[in-house]
Amino acid sequence: MINEALIEEIVRQVIAEIQAREAAAGGKAPESGGYPAASGSRDVDIRTDITSREVKAVPLVDQPEDPEALSRMMRLTTARIGVGKAGSRLKTQTMLALRADHAVARDAVMLDVDPEVIRRLQLFSVQTLCEDKNQFLTRPDLGRRLGEEAAAKIAEKCEMRPDVQLIVADGLSSTAINANIEKVLPVLIDGLNSRGVKVGTPFFIRFGRVAVEDQVAEILGAKVVCIFVGERPGLGSAESMSAYIAYNARVGMPEARRTVVSNIHKDGITAVEAGAYMTDLILRILEKKASGVELQN
Amino acid sequence: MQTIMSVGIDVGTSTTQVVFSRLSMDDSGGFFSVPRVSIVDKEVVYKSEVYLTPLVSDVWIDTDALKEIVAGEYARAGFSPSDMSSGAVIITGESARKENADAVLESLSGFAGDFVVSAAGPDMESLIAGKGSGAFQYSIDHHARVANLDIGGGTTNVVIFDDGAVTARGCLDIGGRLIRVDEGSGLVRISPAAAKVAAAEGIQLRPGQKADLVSLTRVTDRMARVLEGYLGLGPEDVLTPALKTPGSSDFERPGHPDAVFFSGGVADLIYHPAAEDLKYGDIGVLLGRSIRGSRLCSDFHMGEPGETIRATVVGAGSYTTTISGSTISYSEDIFPLKNIPVVKLDEALQASLFRGEKDEVAARIRWYQAQNDVSLLILAMPGKRDPGYGEMKLAAAAIYEIMDQLLPAGAPVLLVIECDIAKAMGQMIRQLPGMDRQVVAIDSIQVSDGEYVDMGRPLMNGMVIPVVVKTLIFG
Repeated sequence: MINEALIEEIVRQVIAEIQAREAAAGGKAPESGGYPAASGSRDVDIRTDITSREVKAVPLVDQPEDPEALSRMMRLTTARIGVGKAGSRLKTQTMLALRADHAVARDAVMLDVDPEVIRRLQLFSVQTLCEDKNQFLTRPDLGRRLGEEAAAKIAEKCEMRPDVQLIVADGLSSTAINANIEKVLPVLIDGLNSRGVKVGTPFFIRFGRVAVEDQVAEILGAKVVCIFVGERPGLGSAESMSAYIAYNARVGMPEARRTVVSNIHKDGITAVEAGAYMTDLILRILEKKASGVELQN
Repeated sequence: MQTIMSVGIDVGTSTTQVVFSRLSMDDSGGFFSVPRVSIVDKEVVYKSEVYLTPLVSDVWIDTDALKEIVAGEYARAGFSPSDMSSGAVIITGESARKENADAVLESLSGFAGDFVVSAAGPDMESLIAGKGSGAFQYSIDHHARVANLDIGGGTTNVVIFDDGAVTARGCLDIGGRLIRVDEGSGLVRISPAAAKVAAAEGIQLRPGQKADLVSLTRVTDRMARVLEGYLGLGPEDVLTPALKTPGSSDFERPGHPDAVFFSGGVADLIYHPAAEDLKYGDIGVLLGRSIRGSRLCSDFHMGEPGETIRATVVGAGSYTTTISGSTISYSEDIFPLKNIPVVKLDEALQASLFRGEKDEVAARIRWYQAQNDVSLLILAMPGKRDPGYGEMKLAAAAIYEIMDQLLPAGAPVLLVIECDIAKAMGQMIRQLPGMDRQVVAIDSIQVSDGEYVDMGRPLMNGMVIPVVVKTLIFG
């Protein structure tokens, strides 16, 4: 059985062999035959993370007309520009980085939220009608509904009729919840408490989608319901979280009644700042008794 | 979309000008995200004529005559001071060294409108002129390194923008009015800086002497050479340290600029040389010619400035006001706040705050208070990119305890943070038990130690605060 320790051991051996070989060749990698390496080629060390910002910031174009301008352009976007090409194809490094980013995105969707995070926030957990990840991904309707057992647990454990009910759900990125929820939730709860708003008992929903908040609002009679969910990851970031807030939510209500705060992650709106912003936003929703498009009018 | 009016007033060595600008701001955040208000348009709606700066004597500015000029321009443009939501009065060049410079500035900014701020100092001037000339925008549009030389009557203000970022600022006592000539071509006044340049060329200049074009041209040629060396063409001229304007930064010679812009009164004489040698009763025409013939104009790509003689005043009117980030925290009815000095923490000092430690930062503020007699100050810091809840709580408590201990009773806690975390920080400070001070925490503003900040009344339904970051250095 291959386990993590074994893989680490193999990698360590390979690195040691490479280092020994480099040392034997006087610090230079030996010629491996085939085409000679182009001068000035920039091979990335096997030990560095090719998905990191630092590695991605280095242009791969051979002999750029204006290297400084290329670097500046690359700073302006996370799109894969300045990557050059090998014949008609992507370079190996670009190809590997693409696959690594894709793996990060798949992990974000397929893995569960870290139970330690849920424990530290003292959240209890319920599950939607979905039985496993596969069903969650193929049956969006089931991810919006809670079974009788889950509904009963919520009714039993939560304070009834709160001004604001906060919920955390995995959605399509557990990574996003792991990265942000511990920073945003306490800021928001402190903020609302300090303004005299009655905050209900927050909890976690596994296999949850946005609209499950409507059923929760009905069960608990909450004035405002707010659910944090991980957003479907792209190849740029798997850490983006959103919050969907609704006043007087009802099952089957139009989506236009939700107010959204999106892009909560370290390169978007910082998690703690989102918590502070949402404090004022929820106060305004409570005051205007409206959310979504109705709040804008 | 909201528009505000902004006034710019420049009291320069030789000229005084007024402009009125309309600034438009809008929320580009969109429906699904947090608001993001920015200034989306700047339009100069009125430019005054160029007045000679009224002087009572060589060292005294005529405040009453100056006020009359400004009042006349308000009337002609059809505005009153109460229409102005922002703006700046800047005193530049040799005018900043007059004995009553700060008094002139104060009375003029008070007269021009409640939210009009005052600014002085060669570094500030360099930056404002470079923005007003269009060099700043060019550097952003072309992702280029651009130098702006604002050559006025008394000084040459230099700024380098690298893709919109200021990488160097400096100022030299080189200008078109350093030697004045009367109608009979006799020398009237030779400034100390001009005398130094002449002496280095082995030329004696005395008032009353007949102006000798060959000698004067040698002086202006040498001035051009000093500027060449300043921008890295050839070695630095030995005169450079002696010509450095008091109060200006040490200028770090930049890498080769992609383009050079000229602004200021002499710029017009570089781009459009005049035939008459001593046309303005000074050496401006000669200096323009010398620069035109220098390597500054042959070795660099010459930019086309949108403004030349008006660059500084347009910069003061349109580019001094910035706006804070759109998620901020403040107490009502505290604005405007004017001329608040900045104490800026570096990463190491800031890190101690986020560990909940107070001693180092308190010592830093105490040291500042011992040097300066101030009751209010702004604590500025770079901020953390994605801070955790626990460390934010520690920092909030530490900041409040430090400020509560060191500020006089009733003084507000003022924070300027570069990263977008000010709303959270402000909210956490407010929640502290026993908190009884007003709190303003704004972000997305870059400030440096020793600068001053003005904050105007909140705009765009209270989402943002107009901010001016400036220096107040009189020669």
